[in-house]
Amino acid sequence: MLRAAGLGLVAVLVAFPLAVLPSPPVSWLAGAAFAVAGAGVVARLVPLVTAGGSLALIAHALALVIARPEADPVAATAFGATLVLLLALVHFAGRAHGAAIGAGVLAAQLRQWLVVVTAGVVATVVLTAGASALGPALAGATLPVMVVAAALGVLLTVAGVIALVARP
Amino acid sequence: MSWRPTTLHVSFLTLAGWALFLGVLTGRADLVVVAIPLIAALVAGRWAAAPPALQIRHEVSADRLFESHGVTVTVTLRADGPAPLVELLEPLPSRVRLERGRHHAFFTLRAGEEVRWEFALRCEGRQRLRLGGPHVRQWGPLGLAVAETRYRAPQTVAVYPHLALLRHPPRPVRTQTFAGNHVSPAQGEGIEPGDVRPFAPGDHVRHVNWRATLRLNTLHVTQHHRERNADVVLLLDTLSEVGPAGETVVDVAVRGAATLAAAYLARKDRVGLIEYGGQLRWVKPGSGRAQFQRLLDTLLDASVVFTYVTRDVDLIPPRILPPQALVVALSPLLDPRFVRAAGDLAARGFDLVVIAVSPVAPARAAVPRGPVADLAARLWALERRAQLDEYRRLGLTVVDWDGVGPLDTVLATLRRPHRRRVLA
Repeated sequence: MLRAAGLGLVAVLVAFPLAVLPSPPVSWLAGAAFAVAGAGVVARLVPLVTAGGSLALIAHALALVIARPEADPVAATAFGATLVLLLALVHFAGRAHGAAIGAGVLAAQLRQWLVVVTAGVVATVVLTAGASALGPALAGATLPVMVVAAALGVLLTVAGVIALVARP
Repeated sequence: MSWRPTTLHVSFLTLAGWALFLGVLTGRADLVVVAIPLIAALVAGRWAAAPPALQIRHEVSADRLFESHGVTVTVTLRADGPAPLVELLEPLPSRVRLERGRHHAFFTLRAGEEVRWEFALRCEGRQRLRLGGPHVRQWGPLGLAVAETRYRAPQTVAVYPHLALLRHPPRPVRTQTFAGNHVSPAQGEGIEPGDVRPFAPGDHVRHVNWRATLRLNTLHVTQHHRERNADVVLLLDTLSEVGPAGETVVDVAVRGAATLAAAYLARKDRVGLIEYGGQLRWVKPGSGRAQFQRLLDTLLDASVVFTYVTRDVDLIPPRILPPQALVVALSPLLDPRFVRAAGDLAARGFDLVVIAVSPVAPARAAVPRGPVADLAARLWALERRAQLDEYRRLGLTVVDWDGVGPLDTVLATLRRPHRRRVLA
């Protein structure tokens, strides 16, 4: 059951880039992502799923660059939420394989994952709304300044998250 | 217990990093948005409440059992606060297999809730099974944090060798003075009829043999043989062993020794044990349940200890090896030191029966099958048969046991000399 759910999430994941641009380079990458992540789900290996998820992200980026559609925060949030659910599911499936599962464990896990995903969605909505409000104020900024600021922001975000999770 | 991050963080960080990097590289805000749920999950995983305290009770259904029996392990778990995901893992020692249930389980507990987890184990081979208690893990949200501890409840279960039914243990030639089940050569009170002799003053009327009296015209009485017990000493060869773990010749010999001990003790005999190997250990002959427990405990620890030192049977005190005792030796007869010791005992007049446990089948089980291995096994079996015939020619009573078939069938064919008429 967990494997079927995982494969379903992988299918949803690769559907995002294909929905943006169902053309050969993107579909090849999406196919590779499906194969790798699917293998990870079947073998219950989180590193393989991570690799598959990375490929799906690259395919999505490629599709966005080639097709240049309007920014879609809802689809992007759903993509991120799918990645979270997929990783959590495969990690749990790998741990619980061959073990006795007590009553209510699966329901409790599902509830917990949905709460975390909902928190992620709420955070996305808040940040997107904040960014929309901040957008007009930054309209005059030149492009290199924006890129440097964004890169700095990314670096600070990643460093902050690493520091947070590595804290004893 | 406190939370520590798991390796799942690396996966979340990798994907979030990719999304942010690609977002900056391509200038697409969508990709930056993809990273937000991942980062939110990481933060949520870090902000989990402290793991609740757990109360664990670990119970084992028996502390002593035989190879063919199982043991049930029951773990009762109670959480002081809500525990979203608790993982329990009882590590299984070697040569133990799961008979029922799982030794790895996941539970979700509400505050104050109690759950019972049960599984049954079966031990393959004699051993002192050590169960140390379960490993306990509490998982945080999404499996991003874990709190781990080991519940220590060391419990030892003695798994004794399997006891087979034995109806025909080797009959001792000499008996002792206490009441038992063996017909003694000595005459006296008993139910086994012996000689008929003329009546003498003091004889009971109920012993008068009326048929002989009528025929001979003088009073004759029937004498009876006494039923007496015997001293039996089991001599276990632990100088060498072959075969896979749990099924070596020593294991087979130990099973045989336990079966013989149970059979003789049930016949009210006194049974002792000598472990003749790298270490010379013994149990003084005795009878009763406590003696059976002593013998089983000694047999449980019987193992091969390598040594170059040859210990003579002279070292064994007479109270351990009484001169009138029946000595039943269980050995694969692979080590010449044991063959010499057995020959020495026979030469000294001990009533000796050697049960030669065949090493061919255990050795065959330990090597992969093939025509060369088959041929070698057949040649070895032939050579061994010739060797046993040679021992028989030297005067040893040798019974060949392959260790697979029942010992009772093998011993049923054993012919023992009668000594009823030796003593009057």
